[in-house]
Amino acid sequence: MPLPQPVLLFNDECGVCRHIAHWVKQSAYGPSGGTFLIVRPIGEDPQALQTLRPGLNIWDAYATILLLMPDGTLKLGGEACAEVFRILPNTRWFAWLFNLGLFGFRPFQLLLNLGYLILADTRPLFGCESCGTPKGWVRPFAAAIKWISRLFGKKAVPLPRATSIASLSKPKI
Amino acid sequence: MKRQNFQTVDLIQTATAREFNNLVLEAEGPIAVEFMSYSCAYCQALEPVLQLVAEKVGTQVKIFRVNIAVDPELAARYRIEATPTLVMFLSGQPIGRAEGPHPNFSTLLAAVIEPFQS
Repeated sequence: MPLPQPVLLFNDECGVCRHIAHWVKQSAYGPSGGTFLIVRPIGEDPQALQTLRPGLNIWDAYATILLLMPDGTLKLGGEACAEVFRILPNTRWFAWLFNLGLFGFRPFQLLLNLGYLILADTRPLFGCESCGTPKGWVRPFAAAIKWISRLFGKKAVPLPRATSIASLSKPKI
Repeated sequence: MKRQNFQTVDLIQTATAREFNNLVLEAEGPIAVEFMSYSCAYCQALEPVLQLVAEKVGTQVKIFRVNIAVDPELAARYRIEATPTLVMFLSGQPIGRAEGPHPNFSTLLAAVIEPFQS
C-alpha cells in the first residue's frame, strides 16, 4: 500500500535521535494543521515494519536513519537527512544546496553524509547506551569523558557489550 | 544500506510471555533463551553470530529470543539487568547465563553449550 506521506523512522531508545525526531516532528506541521512528514519510532515489532514496507528488516532499520517515500523508495543516512530538509517548510530554502553538483560530486551532500556519520558514531558520548560500543575513532573521546566524569565523582559505567535495562524505558515523543 | 549479513531465514524463534511456558519451561532438552531488544546495538552485533551458532547446534540446543521491550515481566522474572543476556534452561530450570557475551562465534558457542556439559 503506498504511503500518503514520507515516513521518517528513528531509534526511540536513543536520546539524540529522539530529540532530533522531536524537532523534525514539530517542524513538519503545515499552516493548515496538517503535516508534511510522519515521524515514527522503529519500535520492537518486525511485522509492523514489514507492513510499512515489505522486506524491511528491523535490524537494518536500527542501523541507520530511514525515510520511506510515498513512491516506495527508501532514503538512508545523509540522503534521508537531505530529503527531510527538502520537505520541512523551515529548511527547504537551503536544501537546494544538497543537489548542487561540482565536477560530478555533490559537495554539500557529501558534507551532510559526513556530518550524519559523525553524529551517528558519537551518540554513545551523549549517553546513548543502546547505541553500542563507540567506534574506534570515538573511543579516546569516550575515555576522556569517562575520566572527567570520574574527576567530578560521577559513576557512569555501562556493562561491557550489553545495554542496561534501566536505560531502555524513556518517555516517547 | 549498511547490512550486517542478517540471514533471510531466521533460525531463532521468538518466544512471547504467553508461549514461554510451553516453548521453554515445559519443553524437553537443552534450551538457550536470548533476552534482547531490537533497539540494543549489542543485540544487533550478536544477532548474526547467534544465527550461526543456532545453525551449528541444530536441534541439540533450541535457541529462542525474548524481546524484553515486549515482555518485560519475563526479564524481571529471570532478573535480566542488561541485554543481550543468554539464559540456558534444562528441564525448565535456568542452569547458566551469559550477560553481554562477546559477539564471536567460538565464545558464543561455548557460552551456549558449556552449561549443558557440566
